[in-house]
Amino acid sequence: MPSDIADLIVKLEREQVLEAVGERAAAKEDPLVLLEECRQGMLKVGQRFQDGDYYLAELMISGEIFKEAMEVLEPYLEDVRGSERIGTVVLATMHGDIHDLGKNIVATLLRVHNFEVHDLGVNVEPEAVVEKVKEVAPDIVGFSSLITTSFESTRRAAELLEQEGLRDQLKIVVGGGVTTPEFGEYVGADFQTLDASVGVTYCLEACTATTGEA
Amino acid sequence: MAQESMTADERVWSALRLEKPDRVPVIPTLLPEPAAGLAGVPQAKVASDNQAVVQAVFDVYDRIGGWDNIYPATYKPIQLQAAGVFPMKMRIPGVDLDDQTPFQLDEQEVLKPEDFEKIAEMGFDAFFEEDFLWRVSDLTPETRAEEMTKIMVGGGMFLGECAKREIKPLFLANGLHPFFLLSLTRSMIPFTQDVFYKPEPVERALRRMTTDLIEKQLRIVKQTGIDIFMCSEERAGGFFFSPAHFERFWWPYTQEIVETLWAEGIVTLFHLDTDWIKNIPYFKKLPKGSAVLELDSTTDIFAAKEMLRGHLCLKGDVSAASLSIGNPEDIAAYCKRLIDGVGGDGGFILGTGCSVPPDAKFENLRAMIETGKTYELTRG
Repeated sequence: MPSDIADLIVKLEREQVLEAVGERAAAKEDPLVLLEECRQGMLKVGQRFQDGDYYLAELMISGEIFKEAMEVLEPYLEDVRGSERIGTVVLATMHGDIHDLGKNIVATLLRVHNFEVHDLGVNVEPEAVVEKVKEVAPDIVGFSSLITTSFESTRRAAELLEQEGLRDQLKIVVGGGVTTPEFGEYVGADFQTLDASVGVTYCLEACTATTGEA
Repeated sequence: MAQESMTADERVWSALRLEKPDRVPVIPTLLPEPAAGLAGVPQAKVASDNQAVVQAVFDVYDRIGGWDNIYPATYKPIQLQAAGVFPMKMRIPGVDLDDQTPFQLDEQEVLKPEDFEKIAEMGFDAFFEEDFLWRVSDLTPETRAEEMTKIMVGGGMFLGECAKREIKPLFLANGLHPFFLLSLTRSMIPFTQDVFYKPEPVERALRRMTTDLIEKQLRIVKQTGIDIFMCSEERAGGFFFSPAHFERFWWPYTQEIVETLWAEGIVTLFHLDTDWIKNIPYFKKLPKGSAVLELDSTTDIFAAKEMLRGHLCLKGDVSAASLSIGNPEDIAAYCKRLIDGVGGDGGFILGTGCSVPPDAKFENLRAMIETGKTYELTRG
């Protein structure tokens, strides 16, 4: 009886998850099945978070387990990787702010949900966002702020997207400890949240609405 | 308009004692970075010159017409590192950032798991002096000594400016909660993994750090004569951790700190960022009047008031975002809501949620201060 990877992830059993993924992959099990089990575990963790049974700490810990499991699976996935992307997201912490912990958590959760994530990093200039949007045509652009000094560059990036005729093709999400609904309005964002999990749910819904996929 | 009948210090202590002062005390958390922004001084200047910091802070204070006791903002960023207030790597304007971008902490995984035992054995301060400082800093022992001297000089200038205006610093004893200090120095995700997978060394470090913190802060309070200890914590609340973790890794140490200091008449001022609403009921277990909770606008301060009415003073919570991109009318309206809803029966200090942001608009901060100073006195 193979280990239930999803269940182990929910229990945050890091060592056992990595051992199970490694052993079953080496035994020629379909890596996409293993990946899906990992994803299912993360989805259950997300549900527990939504239900208030788990906290950000559990979300972070499981995210790290997921990342490590992906590293184990990576060599096996190279030839068979599925292409069922839910959508594409560009993430950035804008000029004036070098904090990235919250953004990184969001990036991990988005990858769990099969988003293609382009993380531009921190202290990003507005023009770099526009350039990346032109390159990868994302469904969503997410801006993270821990301090207000990135507010103006975030707004500027949104303005540039509008000026370049790109704004109608994507949703803008803002999040991070210092953001408020008023900041969302200031930027012209489609959504604002302090909660990484809620932000990811919005992205899922936005992309599902766009593509019509379940 | 009715006249004020208390000094700033009397007003603050009246609120701390859960009494109703002549009007609500008003104390924004004005640090050097927003002071620079509001005074039109480059961030690089306040990051390199203690005198410029003190001048910027009091320039804002005077132009706005003053407020009640003031935050002790006298430092350059590198001095926060040198003194171990924030023992972390940092990016400094004019050095690592452009001249107008405020200094920021650069959180990295510098503390290692094996360091918990060293801390438990030596205490954090000794560990910091002998080892850790030199991992995060480019300072040398000589340049560090110079910076420590400059801190004292800057502090002297600050106290001189306070005396001229017949105000006091709100506090002079301050420090990070041991839990927060470990999280910052170890970095958030590795530290969370430690808490989940290898908790015993963390607990041994917390135990030692708590004992040392109490001893050190008691000493500082007695030296300075200001009976408030400011303790910052951003990561232990219900936004991050379950009640089980909170009860094991934060609350017992916190209770010990507060109760020991309170036995000496010292009030602990908690700076609590993120949403603490799930944790507010715990604070009811502290002795009445022994602490103040400074909330950052993500905790529902009105709900917190209902839980702590008549037990602990609250401080807050005009949001950084509103001071940055809001307008004076909305800020004044919110301050009135706070004064009516949270300050109605006393035990409230009107303050900023977290700190004044570096890009705050002057008219917004002025609206907050003026509303706090006049609202109750003009309404009869």
